[in-house]
Amino acid sequence: MMEKVGHYWDVYKKFVSTSVSVETSFRTSFILLIFMDLFFFFSSVGSVSFIYDHVANIGPWQKDQLLFFLTFMLMIDNLHMMIFSQSFWEFSFNIKSGQLDYVILKPMNTIFSVFFRHFRASSLFNTPLFLGFLIHYGIKVNLSLFDWLMMPLFLILSLVLLILIEFILSTSMFWLTDGIGINFLRMQMQQLARWPNFIYQGFIRKVLTVLLPVLLIGSGPVHFLLDKNQWQLLATMVLVIFVLVIILNWIWKVGLRNYDSASS
Amino acid sequence: MTTPLITAQGLTKQFVSYKKNPGVMGSFTSFFKRNPVIKDAVKDFSFSVAKGEIVGLLGPNGAGKTTLMKMFTGIIVPSDGELKILGSNPWERDKNFRKRIALVMGQKSQLWWDIPAMDSFLLLQKYYEVSDKNFEARIEKMSELLGVKDLLHIHVRKLSLGERMKMELMASLLHNPEVIFLDEPTIGLDLVAQENIRKFILEYHRENECCIIITSHYMQDVQALCDRLVLIFDGKKGYDGPLSRFEDILGNEKNVTFNFSSPQEPESEFWHSLNGEWSKNNTQVDLRIPEEKLRESSAHIITTFPVEDFATDKLPIERVMKELMNNPKLLREQQSSETL
Amino acid sequence: MTTGDAIKNNFSKWWITIQISWVKHTAYRLNFFLQIIGPALVFFFVKYNLWSAIYGADDSLVIKGFNFEGMINYHIWAFVVGLVAQGHGSWNLAEDIRLGRISSYLIYPFNFWEFHTASWLSFQTIQMFIAAITLGVIAFFDLLQFPGWNFFLIGVAYTLFISLFWFALQYLTGVMAFWLEETWILRVMLSVVSYFLSGAIIPLDLYPDWLVNILNYTPFPYLVYYPIKIFSGETSSLGLGLIIISIWTVVIALINHLVWKKGIKLYTAAGM
Repeated sequence: MMEKVGHYWDVYKKFVSTSVSVETSFRTSFILLIFMDLFFFFSSVGSVSFIYDHVANIGPWQKDQLLFFLTFMLMIDNLHMMIFSQSFWEFSFNIKSGQLDYVILKPMNTIFSVFFRHFRASSLFNTPLFLGFLIHYGIKVNLSLFDWLMMPLFLILSLVLLILIEFILSTSMFWLTDGIGINFLRMQMQQLARWPNFIYQGFIRKVLTVLLPVLLIGSGPVHFLLDKNQWQLLATMVLVIFVLVIILNWIWKVGLRNYDSASS
Repeated sequence: MTTPLITAQGLTKQFVSYKKNPGVMGSFTSFFKRNPVIKDAVKDFSFSVAKGEIVGLLGPNGAGKTTLMKMFTGIIVPSDGELKILGSNPWERDKNFRKRIALVMGQKSQLWWDIPAMDSFLLLQKYYEVSDKNFEARIEKMSELLGVKDLLHIHVRKLSLGERMKMELMASLLHNPEVIFLDEPTIGLDLVAQENIRKFILEYHRENECCIIITSHYMQDVQALCDRLVLIFDGKKGYDGPLSRFEDILGNEKNVTFNFSSPQEPESEFWHSLNGEWSKNNTQVDLRIPEEKLRESSAHIITTFPVEDFATDKLPIERVMKELMNNPKLLREQQSSETL
Repeated sequence: MTTGDAIKNNFSKWWITIQISWVKHTAYRLNFFLQIIGPALVFFFVKYNLWSAIYGADDSLVIKGFNFEGMINYHIWAFVVGLVAQGHGSWNLAEDIRLGRISSYLIYPFNFWEFHTASWLSFQTIQMFIAAITLGVIAFFDLLQFPGWNFFLIGVAYTLFISLFWFALQYLTGVMAFWLEETWILRVMLSVVSYFLSGAIIPLDLYPDWLVNILNYTPFPYLVYYPIKIFSGETSSLGLGLIIISIWTVVIALINHLVWKKGIKLYTAAGM
C-alpha cells in the first residue's frame, strides 16, 4: 500500500515538474494569470464590501462573517486553479482529439492520469495573499485555536467535495461529442457555491444541498466554524463525500467503456 | 503447441453518427431532431497471433484497421465477439495488461509538445516503473540505433516529423512491452525516414522477444517487416496468410510503366486489348503483364513504339486490393486452392 | 465589373459568412447554451437570491433609491444588456491566428476583419433573438417595469452601439494572439474588470462616491450602468455616453489596425 502511494507520489512530482517547465516558458501568460486571479479576488471582496456599506446583515451574517466565508471559498478556488483546473480543459480537448487514447493506456488509475496531470504554478504566487486575507477575517470572527487547527482539514475537505462533483460531471464528456460546455457548467457551479446557502430559498436550496451538493462546499465547514451548534451541514458533507466516491468509481468505469475514441 | 498471445473471435464494432443536412435550415432541424447512422467499422473479425510473430494488417482508409488496434489495446470496447490478449480481455484494462503492451499511432503523438523528448521519457519511466538501470540502458541503445542521441534534449515541437516518429517509437518501447501495436508508423514520412524506422523495428524485434502488429497502407512496410499478412476491407477480413502467397493471388502479374516521347493512341487495337491505365496526355501507360510474358511483351513494345523509359514493379497494394474488392472470387479461388 | 456589382458581390460574401456562422454557433446546442447563455442566467439567479435574502429581512428597506422590485428590475436589464452588449468573445479569432489559419485569409478575396465582423453580426442576431424572447417571457409574467417605447428603442439602439465597442475591444484581445499563446487570459481579465466597474454586479449607486467619480472618466459605466438607466427612463447621460464610447471605439479600432499590421508582418516574415 505504501509502495503504491510512493509510486503515485513519484509520478505526481514529475507532473508538477513538467507543468512548471512548460508554464514558465510562457512568461507573459504566467504574469497575466497572476493578475487575472488578483482582479477576480478583489472584485469579489469589493462587491461584498460595498453591499455592506448599506446593510448591516445579509441573512444571519454580518460583514466579517460573510467575508470570512468568501475568502474561504476564494482560497478553495485558488487551490483548485492550481491543482486541477487546467486538467479539466485538457480533458475535453483530449477527448475531442482522441489524444485521450494515450492517457487511458498508461498503467495507472485513469482519474489520476487525467485530472492530476497539469499543475499551475502561477496560482501559487497568489496563495500567500489570499491566505493572508482568510487569516485576517478568521481573526475578525474570533476563531478559537481548535478552529484554526481544523481549518486546513476543512479546506481539504471542501476541495475534495468540489472535485468529486466536478469529476462526476466531467464523465458526461465521454458521451458528448464536444464537452467544452461542461467546463462552463462547472464554472457556474463554482459561482453558486461562492455564496452561503441561506441566500437560496426552499426547493433550490434543497437541490443544491443534496442533489448537486455545491452549497455544502463552503457552507458546511464555515457554519460549523462560526457556530459549533451548526454541525449538521458538515456531517452531511462528510456523508455526501463517501457517496460521491462510490458514484464516481462506477460512472467513470461506465464512461470509459462508452468511450468511442475519435478516429484518426 | 504454445497458446497464442492474441486470439480474436467474431470481433465486431459498430459506431453511431448523426446525419445533418447542410445549410441554416439543416442546422435548425438537426437542433431538434437527429438522424442516427450506424456504421459497422469491424465485422466478425477472427484471428490468432503467436509469440514472436510480426503481422501486417493492411487495408484501405476506413477499412477498420485503427478500430481493431484500439480494441486490441483496450481503448474501445467491442460491440460483439471475444478477444484475449496476454490472457486478459483488453477492455477490462487490467493494469498489468497495460504494462505489457505498447501502442504507437502515426497520426497522433503521445509525447508532450512543450518539453524535450527526454522529459517525456522520464515521465514515462515513472509511469511504467522502469528501473534506472534498465531505463538508461534502453535509452542509450535505442537512441544509438535511431541516431537521435543529440535530439533528446530538444523540445518535441521543434523536431521534424521523422525525428518525432523515432522519439515516439522509443517512448513506446521504454517499458519493454511484450506486444507492440504500430498503427501507420511510417505515414507521412520521407523514404529515408521510412527505411530507418523499418530497420529499427526489425533490429528491435531480433533482439527482444516481442510480438508486433503493424497496420499500414504502404506495401513496403509489410514487405520489409512481416511474415504474415492480414487484409481488411470494409471491416471484414479478406485474407490471412503468408506474404508470399498473397503476392501469388493475382497470378504473378507485374506492373510495367512505359513512357513515350510522343502521345500514343489508347484506342488503337493493340493498346485497347492490353487495358492499361493512361496518363492525361497519353505519354505514359501502366500495364499489368503476367510474369511469364514480361520479356516478350516488353521487348515488343520497346521495339515497336517510341519508348523513352520503362520500369517494372510488383503490383502496388492499392491495385491488388482494388482488384480483390471488384473480384472477391480471386480470394476464394486462392483459399480453395490451398485446401486442396 | 460595375461598382454596383462589386457591392452586390461583397454583400453576398458577408451574407454567406453570416449564414455559415449561424450554423457554426448552433452546431453544438448544449455548448451554445452553457457557454453563452448559461453563465448570464446563473449570474442573474445568484443576484436574485442575494437581494431576496437582503430585502426579505426588512420589507421597507430602500438602498440608494432601490427597493426590491427596483433592484430586480435593474438586474433584469443588466442581464439583457449584457447578453447583447457583452456576449461575444473573440476566441475564434484568436484561434485562427494561433493555429496559423490566417494563411487562407491572406488568399481569400474576403479580409480577416470582414470575416470576423460578419461572424460577430451573425452572433449578435442570435443574441438579440434570445434577449427578445427573455424580455417577452419576463414581461408576460408582469415582472418587468417597462419604460415606454421611446426609452426602450433608444436603449436598444444604444446597447447595439456599445456592442460595437465591445466587439472592437474583444477583437484587440484576439489579435494579441500573434504574440500571446493564451489570449483567453486577457479576455477573462477584461470581463472581470468590466463586470466590476460597469455596474453589472451591483448598481454603481452602491459604490463609494470617490470611486464613481473616477469611473465616470472611463468607458466602463457606459457599458452597463447608463444603458440600464435609459431602460429605466432616464436619458440624461445619453449624449455624454455616446461621445465617450464613440471616442473609445475609434481609438481601439485604430489600435486594432496597427496591431494587425504589425502582427501580419511578423507572421509572414516567419513564413508560418
